[in-house]
Amino acid sequence: MDLSQYAELFLAESREHLSACNQLLLDWERTPANPAPVGGLFRAVHTVKGMAATMGYGRVTDIAHRTENLLDLLRRGSRPATDELLQLLFRARDALETAVELSVVGREDELDVAEVVADLESAAALVAPHPLAPSPRSGEGERGGEVPPAAPGGGRLVEVTLRAEAPIKGGRALLALKRAQGLGVVHGVTPPQAALESDDFDGRFSFRLDSPVPAADIERAVRGAGDVEHVSVGGEERRGAAPRAPAPAGAPVEATPEKSRHIRVDLRRLDELMDLIGELVTVRGRLNELAAARRDPAVDDVAIQISRLSADLQAGIIQARMTPVWQVFDRFPRLVRDLARELDKQVAFRVEGKEIELDRAILDELGDPLLHLLRNAVDHGIETPAERRRRGKPPEGEIVLAAVRERASVAISVSDDGRGIDRARILERAQREGLVDPHAEALSDDQLLRVLARPGFSTADAVTSVSGRGVGIDVAVTRIRALGGSIDIRTEAGKGTSFVLRLPVTLAIVRALIAGVGRERYALPLTYVAETVEFGVQPTTLVEGREAIVLHDRVVPLVHLRRMLGVSGDAPRRCPIIVLEMGERRSGIVVDGMLGQQEIVVKGFDPPQGTLPVFSGATIMGDGIPALILDAGGLV
Amino acid sequence: MSHTVLVCDDAIFMRTMISDILAQAGFEIVGEAETGSQAVEKYRQLKPDLVTMDIVMPDMGGIDAVREIVKQDPDAKILMCSAMGQQALVVEAIQAGAKDFVVKPFQPSRVLEAVQRVLG
Repeated sequence: MDLSQYAELFLAESREHLSACNQLLLDWERTPANPAPVGGLFRAVHTVKGMAATMGYGRVTDIAHRTENLLDLLRRGSRPATDELLQLLFRARDALETAVELSVVGREDELDVAEVVADLESAAALVAPHPLAPSPRSGEGERGGEVPPAAPGGGRLVEVTLRAEAPIKGGRALLALKRAQGLGVVHGVTPPQAALESDDFDGRFSFRLDSPVPAADIERAVRGAGDVEHVSVGGEERRGAAPRAPAPAGAPVEATPEKSRHIRVDLRRLDELMDLIGELVTVRGRLNELAAARRDPAVDDVAIQISRLSADLQAGIIQARMTPVWQVFDRFPRLVRDLARELDKQVAFRVEGKEIELDRAILDELGDPLLHLLRNAVDHGIETPAERRRRGKPPEGEIVLAAVRERASVAISVSDDGRGIDRARILERAQREGLVDPHAEALSDDQLLRVLARPGFSTADAVTSVSGRGVGIDVAVTRIRALGGSIDIRTEAGKGTSFVLRLPVTLAIVRALIAGVGRERYALPLTYVAETVEFGVQPTTLVEGREAIVLHDRVVPLVHLRRMLGVSGDAPRRCPIIVLEMGERRSGIVVDGMLGQQEIVVKGFDPPQGTLPVFSGATIMGDGIPALILDAGGLV
Repeated sequence: MSHTVLVCDDAIFMRTMISDILAQAGFEIVGEAETGSQAVEKYRQLKPDLVTMDIVMPDMGGIDAVREIVKQDPDAKILMCSAMGQQALVVEAIQAGAKDFVVKPFQPSRVLEAVQRVLG
């Protein structure tokens, strides 16, 4: 049978279980005396083992089997977790993860599992109460169809040999005995039934059967148990016995019906669908334009219907792509814990808003930026326990990763209650490197972020293995910008630092304002459009050398798109200002005219060298002519 | 008419594989369950000719599910799916009323043999 078709399913499901293991281990670490997570751990590892064995992945099976053994012993012993034990289980989980990933790509052999396997074995030996652990249920009585103990007397001697390669011979023997019981009374089982269940049982056993049926029928019944190599039925028949009556039917069982109606879909299929919908949206735009030109009510009707249907279709596909953020967040508790340990810090890590959903494509890109920010928080943000005590803080620092749904975007924040960023030091460095006005006395949060986001800018005194290589924030900022999002920073000395990432909920199709400048059209995603006002109606002022308007008591600096893009000719006398808002920051974009709103399909693009850093992508307009998409993050 | 089967396993991977093996052999998969309690409920709803039952499942394990199902229907034909080294659990399942067992990793031929034994 071709197993490769199951590899992806194996991988996806194993990852889920291993991710759950991390969570369970962290839970157990938090409350070591409460062994509740062990049952879940055992089941997860057991499931991975079963799948891996089926796929023929020996190393995964091996590690899983030994981990499962250890967990089983822990589960039965209801033992509290020790630090050593937890470390080992974390290691085993990690080894499993590596083994799973390598196995699927056929590189299982590269993995050396000897050490973790040996450690699991010796831990299991320490935990095991006796050389032979008792079976979980033995002694609890009520063993349904237990074969009655041997009564002295006759019956036919039935000797059975099971196939040497048969797995779980004890189970097979029991099935044979049960089948024999269907024909008469069984007694004199040799070796005794308890020995059949031992792992040493070699598959040879005998019993006596009081039954009137011919030998051939007995043999057939016993062979029916499966895996039977040989049966011999001796003579000496005495008295008949009626087959045992079946157990009486019990009362119906109460259970709530649970209907899970989920299927797994390959992400690439959703991407393909999204592409197709994108093309449909583009064509829909053309159809609308043509219909408007024709002024034919029948054509209009069809165009409207197609618009409505494709909008529904599009909403459906976007919904299908939405993924809860926990799918990315779930690996962070473990990561923060490991980092904190490595750096001798005490950190309580909290995750909020796990159920908030984002487009899968955006979520996939979020892992690295968040990783950088969390690393920074543990390494640079949170102080050592001693330092925190000196400052009158609790020794344990706190880091919160939270997702919140805002209007058309999702805000994800990483906050710590650590030392905050040292503005004076950053200012000094920034001035030395000529990044800011040498006479500036302080850095605002915005300026601070701009300085920090410069590639290679690092204020870390020492480069640790964790962070401080100057590839933290600039990577995060670039990545988030590329997704059409923004980053804000807020920091206060001694109180902590908070980064807020704002992201559009979906990437592929967005509603945008279409603005005209010169003879070109530009698209501005509505996600960050706060309002539009008219230029020339509002009085303008100069703020820090920049032209600005005052709107709702707030200063909004202006950007003349015409000037910025170097479009020749004069602007119309009255032009609209599109006010963009990203977090606390605002900016007014002056354009020639507003051409309306429409859905646009975002296509990523690689800007040629020298392109202004204000475009995030391109789109095809209804008439088939491309237009550039303005990046709100680059303009605000 | 083909025999109907209820496949119970908490791993989609395993359910898919067992379903594929049985469907290719002409069985009709009428339902799947992820937990023991689902298995019991679906057995009552679907009355399948055969049940394949994983031993280790969350929210009521396979053995307790066998007990409950056999209580409802003493003639229920349940095939346990076990892993290596689960001797004690297999024995317990048989005593609870399971009719046969197969051991992971599954070989299609062995699964089908066991199914034939259970149904025959």
